[in-house]
Amino acid sequence: MSTITELSTLDVLEAEAVHIIRECAAECERPVLLFSGGKDSIVLAHLATKAFAPAGLPFPLMHVDTGHNFPEVIEYRDWFVGEIDERLIVASVEESIAQGRVQDETGPRASRNRLQTTTLLDAIAEHQFDACFGGARRDEERARAKERVFSHRDMFGQWDPRNQRPEPWSIYNTKLRKGEHFRVFPLSNWTEVDVWLYIQREGLSLPSIYFAHEREVFMRDGMLMAAADFVERLPNEEVFTETVRFRTVGDATCTAGMKSTAATVEEVLVETRASDISERGASRADDKTSEAAMEDRKRGGYF
Amino acid sequence: MPVESPMLHAVAVGSVDDGKSTLIGRLLYETGHLNADEIAHVEEASRKRGRKGLDLALLTDGLRAEREQGITIDVAYRSFDAQGRRILLGDAPGHEQYTRNMVTAAAGADVAILLVDAKNGLTDQTRRHLAICGMLGVSDVVACVNKIDLVEYDQARFAELADELVAASMAIDGPRITPIPLSALEGVNITERSEATAWYDGPTVLDVLHDLDRKVAEEEFRMPVQWVIRHDEGGADVRGLAGRITSGTVEVGDEVVALPSGRTSRISRIDVLGDERPSASAPLSVTLHLEDDVDVSRGDVIAPVGNAPAVASRITATIAWLDEAPLTAPARLEARQGNRLVPVIIEELHERLDLAAMEQVPTDALEVNDLGIATMLSAQPLAVEVYGDNREMGSMVLVDPGSNRTVGAVMVREVIRD
Repeated sequence: MSTITELSTLDVLEAEAVHIIRECAAECERPVLLFSGGKDSIVLAHLATKAFAPAGLPFPLMHVDTGHNFPEVIEYRDWFVGEIDERLIVASVEESIAQGRVQDETGPRASRNRLQTTTLLDAIAEHQFDACFGGARRDEERARAKERVFSHRDMFGQWDPRNQRPEPWSIYNTKLRKGEHFRVFPLSNWTEVDVWLYIQREGLSLPSIYFAHEREVFMRDGMLMAAADFVERLPNEEVFTETVRFRTVGDATCTAGMKSTAATVEEVLVETRASDISERGASRADDKTSEAAMEDRKRGGYF
Repeated sequence: MPVESPMLHAVAVGSVDDGKSTLIGRLLYETGHLNADEIAHVEEASRKRGRKGLDLALLTDGLRAEREQGITIDVAYRSFDAQGRRILLGDAPGHEQYTRNMVTAAAGADVAILLVDAKNGLTDQTRRHLAICGMLGVSDVVACVNKIDLVEYDQARFAELADELVAASMAIDGPRITPIPLSALEGVNITERSEATAWYDGPTVLDVLHDLDRKVAEEEFRMPVQWVIRHDEGGADVRGLAGRITSGTVEVGDEVVALPSGRTSRISRIDVLGDERPSASAPLSVTLHLEDDVDVSRGDVIAPVGNAPAVASRITATIAWLDEAPLTAPARLEARQGNRLVPVIIEELHERLDLAAMEQVPTDALEVNDLGIATMLSAQPLAVEVYGDNREMGSMVLVDPGSNRTVGAVMVREVIRD
């Protein structure tokens, strides 16, 4: 047994995240934790298991699967869920396409990033979820910096940024009408470096694509995109081999890697601290479509 | 043992165009928390709007409507490090019509950064924000006399405004003021002192944020129970009381009482997220075990025997009204306090703070953005304390049960014993 003599930023962030997770579990009827196999959702799921230990999670995990995955991430996802011995729901964009709910994009710039929103909202309705935990952080993006911890969504899954519920102190108004839901963000006040430091402190394992490895890539808009069967390349986009790692993990059609030799958490931390480019700026093609790309997608029900 | 808080909640307030967003941009930039792609984004967005140079406000004004109108509508939160201490900074809207969002940002803040235009001086909105900070218990204000470059770095003008700010706060028994001459645009006295204000030998904004004395866990121990974790331990049904310690320190062996029931027991085990410890302090999330199997559930408050909060149904409180529809008494609402949601009746409205005259005036209604004093009755007794004594036990949020909207922020002034 040890006595606390000093409190670190991570201790405070961890305590805050657990408070939010417990609060949502207690107040909402049917929460679900959105789990992509990305580092933020891994940290989130880890925090959730700590919040209720030694009992199990009072809610399932859900992966919105675009079908355009990095195989290492899916492998990790299934391993992780087995490891914590919890239930995983997979909501499939492929199925939404097969059912005619959405139309797959075609051509070299095709992405299923936008299509995920329909699949997610359908799954929320099907399972009657009234709260979705997400690993989003305020330091990621301008629109996210404006979002509440308990972020209200109407029956259409829409976020109304001009009319958010005031959220003073750490008191959350968790009242909903039928059909509405919350997106709940326990990592709101964490930074990218905090996430890595916490992964280090807790000894969490991550999908291998977060660390330097050789991969077939091609250059698009100044970013290194993974060469995959489902990505159509333009004539001038030649494939070559590069040592890369991924800073974020999303749909493989819009997530870029970066040149790196960082093979451990410690080395990634060194690079992250020295980096002059933000996480999303470095790796997300989907934010670059317009100035308010994230706000517009969030208004429509995106993560 | 109280320890220095590793994290500080700060809020930037002040009138429109006094330069809040520019200061935040500067702070992030000078502390190395602004990335090249973010700067490139601001450059492009500034150009698109025909601004000369970098409009750093575009960094935090992230919403479409904010950029279109050039104003801040809602709070943006950014994190940065002040020489090893984490600062979570809220950029609050300056417009009067968005005061409710300013209240959201300032509630729970340890320190406010208040900007005043060196040329224009104090405005009604400056005094209003100062008063709101005072009511919300923000005990320290870094008063930045901004745009000091536009008055030729005039020491006399700075001294004049510094005196006015201190006097304005004294008049309302408000926060402690640390005045700093500043140019957010030129980066003067934000993270480094400047030759331009050689006559100034006080701290920079970053110095104040780094040095501010803010201990955690100084007050009496309190923990509202969030969740009861039940599990089987060698055939025994074990119940752990999960929650976040909102103030103070608890030790194994401490005699505690659960409120409002009043049942007592001793702490037998403290589990800090998988780590068993002899003691734990605010703001940690923990699971407490009691020696006796007493009936404790979500919403109950665990406190030391002999130093527990009062249990009462009637209070007087300051209400910051946040809803477009005015509040008139009597009103039936719901209050969320600690982890409880209880029906309440606002029985009587007494006074309203007239922010123009800065005085309390009698009233029978609170309009949106008003601050007033009211008497409130709750359907069940609550473990409450005066806000000034314990923020967590003395704050509530009012919810309209019809619309589910968050309509008010409550700070307890007086607990009326049953």
